[in-house]
Amino acid sequence: MPLDAVAQFAPAVVEFPFREGYVSSIIYVSLYVSLIAVTLSTLFSVPVALVMGFTDFPGKQFVQSVINTGMGFPSVVVGLLVLFAVSNQGPLGTFDLIFTKEAMIISQFVLATPPITAISLAALTGVNANVRDAAHVLGGTRIDVALVVIKEARYGIATAILAGFGRAISEVGSVLIVGGNITSADGISKTRTLTTAIQLEARQGRYETAMVLGAVLVTLVLTINAVVVRLGSDEVSGR
Amino acid sequence: MSKQRTDGREGTASRRAFLAAAATGVTGALAGCAGIGGGQEAGNQAGVSGETLTLTTTTSTYDTGLLDEIHTDFEEMYGVTVDAVAQGTGAALESARNGDSDVVMVHARGLEDEFMRNGYGVNRRDLMFNDFVIVGPESDPAGIQGMDSATEALTTIAEAEAPFVSRGDNSGTHTKELNLWEAAGTEPGGDWYQETGTGMGEALNVANQQDAYTLSDRGTFISQRSEIDLTILVQGPIEDGPEILANPYGIMAVNPGVHDNANYDLAMAYIGWITSPGTQEAISNYQVNGEQLFFPEAVSEDPDFQQYVPEGWSSNSTDG
Amino acid sequence: MIDLSRVSKAYDEEPVVEDVSLSVEPGEVVAIIGPSGVGKTTLLRMLSLSLEPDAGTVELDGDAVWDADEERRLALRRRVGMVFQEASLFDATVARNVEYGLRVRRGWDDRLRDGLRSVLSSNGTPDAVEEALDVVGLDDKLRQEADSLSGGEAQRVSFARALAYEPEFLLLDEPTSDLDPRNTGLIEEAISEARDRGLGVVVATHDMHQAERIADRVGVLLGDGVTEIGPTETIFEHPTDERTRKFISGELVY
Repeated sequence: MPLDAVAQFAPAVVEFPFREGYVSSIIYVSLYVSLIAVTLSTLFSVPVALVMGFTDFPGKQFVQSVINTGMGFPSVVVGLLVLFAVSNQGPLGTFDLIFTKEAMIISQFVLATPPITAISLAALTGVNANVRDAAHVLGGTRIDVALVVIKEARYGIATAILAGFGRAISEVGSVLIVGGNITSADGISKTRTLTTAIQLEARQGRYETAMVLGAVLVTLVLTINAVVVRLGSDEVSGR
Repeated sequence: MSKQRTDGREGTASRRAFLAAAATGVTGALAGCAGIGGGQEAGNQAGVSGETLTLTTTTSTYDTGLLDEIHTDFEEMYGVTVDAVAQGTGAALESARNGDSDVVMVHARGLEDEFMRNGYGVNRRDLMFNDFVIVGPESDPAGIQGMDSATEALTTIAEAEAPFVSRGDNSGTHTKELNLWEAAGTEPGGDWYQETGTGMGEALNVANQQDAYTLSDRGTFISQRSEIDLTILVQGPIEDGPEILANPYGIMAVNPGVHDNANYDLAMAYIGWITSPGTQEAISNYQVNGEQLFFPEAVSEDPDFQQYVPEGWSSNSTDG
Repeated sequence: MIDLSRVSKAYDEEPVVEDVSLSVEPGEVVAIIGPSGVGKTTLLRMLSLSLEPDAGTVELDGDAVWDADEERRLALRRRVGMVFQEASLFDATVARNVEYGLRVRRGWDDRLRDGLRSVLSSNGTPDAVEEALDVVGLDDKLRQEADSLSGGEAQRVSFARALAYEPEFLLLDEPTSDLDPRNTGLIEEAISEARDRGLGVVVATHDMHQAERIADRVGVLLGDGVTEIGPTETIFEHPTDERTRKFISGELVY
């Protein structure tokens, strides 16, 4: 388990002060929220990118600037907006989403979508026009051509998804605000992620412990990136 | 699992075994996560069984670890889950105001009073208290050690322009600090006065690095004592210091008349439980680094009626 | 028969094709010759029923293509195959490229079933794919990745891809301009084979000698529309238009 390896490298003075199951539960919540948010975002963003790249519609410029603004949009402001929406007083109040993982998924969805859309858009429009034409001329419907383009752009889209995932799993401010950083009394996380756990340790001045959790987070992100890249290169070398 | 085949299909067999194990593991994990509530048997009698109580409180309260220590008892008793959300005083009250929580626990009497006056909170109880201390470097440049007036200590620091770290975040501690400055008749400002906008732990770290004074709740200071070089220079009332440094905690239920989806039944069960003799004793037994952090106030032969109403309210006044 | 009647097309107000009429019937090879950039590609795209002209009509067996609805147009388009100047293969195996036309013509439930079957077992290339690759002499390269092919091989695969779903018409846009003589020969043989099978073939080329070799009829495009269309011999030996004569003799240089 990578956890043990990380703990070994932590300075000797740092005890691993966490109860059993704490770290794995916060890893679970981090992954649960981020993976679902990124999956939903991809399912939404890639078709949007297709439409943006290959059709014309009124308001297209506006959508483009929304995407561009969204790339750099401060995540904590997204958190406030989602809080406003899901709070008991807000428009989505009836769904009881405040302080739940689902609210965190919503805010990470909002954050991941602009980079996934923008990078996918670049990848899709970068596909050779001749290939696109070929798919059309050889008798493909619009959907067939779209699928061909997506497949041609798959490495770029994978990059987009990794970028979105990176943004999602590193999120602190918004998931803290809408999730509440909750664990059960015996330390099993309900809405606490690696990032909000780090924030909690840091605000108590326990910086070394925070660093250990930070190392866990970095290891996790590196591993996922490595797996995706490896899958891509396996395909290239022709298993 | 049948014995391994040796016809070159071992890979498939072991892959299938792995998948089966993984599927079982995932199902088990999900089932385990769903069953956090615990204590189903006892709770089946209580009408609130299976529900979740949302409690908002301050970060310094939560960070002492007291709540995680005592909540299991309540959860098992009723078969419920308590979601303790550490937000900071202002945010905790705001959440309650919005109906996003069912019960709120803070230590800022003025803000609690305002909360009650505006009708958002009902059934307030005094819960427990601890105190604040003024800490600083051992060298004590302003010479405030052992003073028995907190306001005089602060004035001395201001006059000496000794570095002072403030939370600056409208937390309970920050509010207390501002009240002290006001009572001292001194307005803090200048390069020596730094507002960090952080939690108590971080503020102590900053003060430690800058050899500065700061106001801290005793609990956080005790938890961090081993890692910093600051020392208590002005004691709080627990150790015979000035009464003004007292830090009383109150608990209130969110008014179901304002938010009809507030879990009032469970909130009242919680308040009842946490002000009961048993739990109050558990609170007083709670220690960090060998020291008691909280002193129970709820159970008394001679209850303080002022705990139920905003400070200064009397039946003769025209307060609403 | 595909019939272009007095078609015109302009890009950004620059006329590219003006008032051109051209038709192709099953069982013949028509070459369109002319210098690069004169509008051959545009004409071919109109023949492939993918590009709507600004003026004029396009008909397939009497069906006015651009008056029909999208579903009908798709059905008409599917009777035509095309090979481009750059092979434009998909980033996949040769087999997957060649079977594209077959795949998209099947219903979605069939496609899903095929997909599942190919995940579980690893055989089952449609016969049509193997046959089409056989025509271009590449049936041994089914499993190879398209991006590892040489230029000539890629173009031959592109040919097989257009042939696999048995279109009635085959269009080729300067198919051998980047190829060595051997691959050029293979492609020209494949074109003959296609014509013998009854396809109507149109080849756009700037290589007059190629046109002489393979075409039954030749259309000469010199920049203001087709100047002449006629049997190959006639065009090359007795051109009626002065400009045609000059182009063929190499006098007109573009």
